[in-house]
Amino acid sequence: MPEISRRDFLKLASQGFIALSGLFGLGMLLRFLGYQTEPPPPTDFDLGPASNYASGSRTLRPEIPAVVIRTSNEFTALSLVCTHLGCTVESKPEGFACPCHGSRFDLQGKVVRGPAVKPLNSLRTGITSDGILHVYTN
Amino acid sequence: MRPSFFHHLHPPTIPARQARLRYTLASGGLAVFLSLILLVTGLLEMFYYIPTPDQAAASIQTLTFLVPYGGLVRNLHYWTAQFLVIVTLVHLLRVILTGAYAPPRRLNYLIGMGLLVLAILLDFTGYILRWDEGIRWALVTGTNLVKSIPLIGNALYTLLVGGTQPGPATLIRFYGWHIFGLTLAAGILIAWHTFRVRRDGGIAVPPPPLREDQRRITRYELVRREVLAMLLSATALLLLSSFAPAPLAAPITATSVSQTARAPWFFLWVQQMLKLGNPFFWGVVVPLAVLVLLSLIPYVFPKPAKPELGRWFPKSNRLAQVVALLILISMIALTLLALRPAS
Amino acid sequence: MRRYLLLAASIFLLLGLLIAAWQENRHPKPIALTPTLTGQVEYCLTCHSDLAQISNSHPVNTFGCVICHGGEPLALDANLAHSTLRGGKNPSDFSVVQASCGGSNCHSGTVESYNNHIQRATTSIQATYAGAIAIMRYTYGAQSSLAALFGVNAVQDIQSTSGITSLQAFDPAAETNPQLQLFGQNCLTCHLSAQPIQTGGRYDHFTGCAACHTPTQSADLVSVDTTTATQVHKLTTAISYTQCDTCHNRGNYDLRTMTFQPRTDLVANRLQDYYQPIAQFTQCEYTLDCIDCHTRTEAMGDGSLYGSKLDIQYIQCTTCHGTLTELPQTRALTDPNDLAFRLALLNPVVDLKLGDTILVTGKGEPLWNTRVLPDGTYQLVGKATGQVFSFNPVMGSACTQNGVDQSSDYCHTCHSVQR
Repeated sequence: MPEISRRDFLKLASQGFIALSGLFGLGMLLRFLGYQTEPPPPTDFDLGPASNYASGSRTLRPEIPAVVIRTSNEFTALSLVCTHLGCTVESKPEGFACPCHGSRFDLQGKVVRGPAVKPLNSLRTGITSDGILHVYTN
Repeated sequence: MRPSFFHHLHPPTIPARQARLRYTLASGGLAVFLSLILLVTGLLEMFYYIPTPDQAAASIQTLTFLVPYGGLVRNLHYWTAQFLVIVTLVHLLRVILTGAYAPPRRLNYLIGMGLLVLAILLDFTGYILRWDEGIRWALVTGTNLVKSIPLIGNALYTLLVGGTQPGPATLIRFYGWHIFGLTLAAGILIAWHTFRVRRDGGIAVPPPPLREDQRRITRYELVRREVLAMLLSATALLLLSSFAPAPLAAPITATSVSQTARAPWFFLWVQQMLKLGNPFFWGVVVPLAVLVLLSLIPYVFPKPAKPELGRWFPKSNRLAQVVALLILISMIALTLLALRPAS
Repeated sequence: MRRYLLLAASIFLLLGLLIAAWQENRHPKPIALTPTLTGQVEYCLTCHSDLAQISNSHPVNTFGCVICHGGEPLALDANLAHSTLRGGKNPSDFSVVQASCGGSNCHSGTVESYNNHIQRATTSIQATYAGAIAIMRYTYGAQSSLAALFGVNAVQDIQSTSGITSLQAFDPAAETNPQLQLFGQNCLTCHLSAQPIQTGGRYDHFTGCAACHTPTQSADLVSVDTTTATQVHKLTTAISYTQCDTCHNRGNYDLRTMTFQPRTDLVANRLQDYYQPIAQFTQCEYTLDCIDCHTRTEAMGDGSLYGSKLDIQYIQCTTCHGTLTELPQTRALTDPNDLAFRLALLNPVVDLKLGDTILVTGKGEPLWNTRVLPDGTYQLVGKATGQVFSFNPVMGSACTQNGVDQSSDYCHTCHSVQR
């Protein structure tokens, strides 16, 4: 056991307790700063009766933001959140274009031009028993 | 060991007798430390406080009851602020009662008076930010006192209130003063005040030939004592803040009513005087006169003699000591009178 | 020495932080509720989660607490949270009822939508006491006719159909006759804004809407827990006669000394002990609850100010039993929006269906708890008890009434029970 003077030991011990206090205080601070004052945004969007969406239609729903695509027998929802850094892509005849950094997607959401790498997300859809279309972002 | 930045902020040595707690009461240093606590807790509160009339009181309720340790942060800020005002007054009293304002320290004394005024204004503006029914009449009377000043009163009132009566503009201006304007001024004055302490020769002592005790302590010992004082005062404030909540009343709304018409504790003496009559005289002139009188002590009253410096109650500035103590006793008496239940 | 102090101080700092954290964890964990009607989060449930939901018509997930009670939704300190409560424990007190229960979609709507309850209740004779005050003032010479001029509170009714458009607030201190001042002191304890004579006990009740709609008494006269009676968090339309009797059937008054002797006994036998010995009672009166016969306008007024209860109380024996030559009036329920269905929904003791035939009063008010069954029998279901009774019309019975006199005294001559 190496020798340590009483003075140095006391100094080390004091610094140790202050360091512990600092760590504990940091924990308290992180809990303080982690509180969220606003509720998280909705993940379930009620889009009205599914019968409102004609077969073969593509409907823009900017509140999600997504485009609701109905083929003859099924619904899909394509998220309009650019997979690069999150801007809302604009709808174009040939697909989607992101105004922020130039990413381009085709009508199915596949990347035509970067810098985005991943295709536009497909969002889960569902129809309730009374025929209401829902889109889920989670 | 090689002295660090903090060690270098202090002189290499200071006289041992004047470094004692029973001499300084640690009041000056404590004032700086309390100010630092206020800066940190104030910043933390800024993450949750919303300075609009609709949301101010509600955001404080959110902070106090829902944010983890939010109540602790708020209570710390509140208690530290009240103790800062008290410690500043203790420091002022200590300086007067030990004659530590003699030349070359007269300018620093005035800077200190400025800091006292800033501490009180910061306490008052912070109090107003609650925007609850407890502060309503203090805001009305305080701003109307400004209006009562002849010639410039109305213009000053508009500058302060941002309109013709207290409202959203007032809240945001008081917020600006509290968070930035007064804080910036206080920061500058604190820096200047502590610089002047060293420039004026450090803590007030008799010149070396007249000093009885020549012992000194090193900067390392001084810093150690300061760390001890900081640890103890921080612990005391933590414990107080854990168990004693800062006051909070119902928010001010279109239909809310005030339950109380009591001034904040540091203005109770003024509230009591205002019961006597003319608001401009009792609410502006007299308090200003007290400030001016205190500020004139180093310039008008007999100066403390150099051999007597560095000790309590030197004979040479007895008059100033008596005047200061009389003012203190009067303010305490007025405060106690104001606290009596209304008949 | 100083180094030990420093070590001790650093340990104390850590201890201080630990104590602060421990104190923080002792605070109750906030329970949030965001009612759909307001969208504003409230934390009342943190302390009040064991409170029963007040009624099926006021589900807590829709209304929350603050919309009716006021208070500070974000505060977890009791004093601060309750500092802005409307009406203390009772937000239906008439001084605050408009803010608590009002609103065009709630209880201060229109006559046509059947939700003008506040307007009706605050002008009803049970609220204004205008009749009693008028009689007293006339008797003691303070006014020259029986016209109602004063009420317990000042109230206005601009669209009055009764001719009375406003009442001033009765101030006993301003009366010159000492009997009227005594009347003010001793006899104004039974109206909807009055504090009851006996609190915390058998005859306790709230003020305002809660005087009737918050049951502080149970139908079983003796088993009421008097310590908790006025803590009930409930709104109901199934109002037992015991609730009415917290004001009615309360005791005896002496006009000469202008005093009131409230009764304090707890009685078990409704017929023998409960009602005044001098009165006569038919079986309906000691078996049914008051609201089984007395209609919503009789109890709560029709929105107009009246100077006498005789102007609003109109139910008679004939209403349900008819006369020798006429069956009681009925109505077949063909409109799904009929008021009868709405009332039956609020108090589901009867499964009222489209096509059912119910009895109606002379003013057309639906007696929704009565039915004429397909086989011709007349049925009444107790609104507070759910008990089913069948009753007979006068027509075709052995009744020997003269047909002209349909006052209740007349029917009581034969039909009241000997006690």
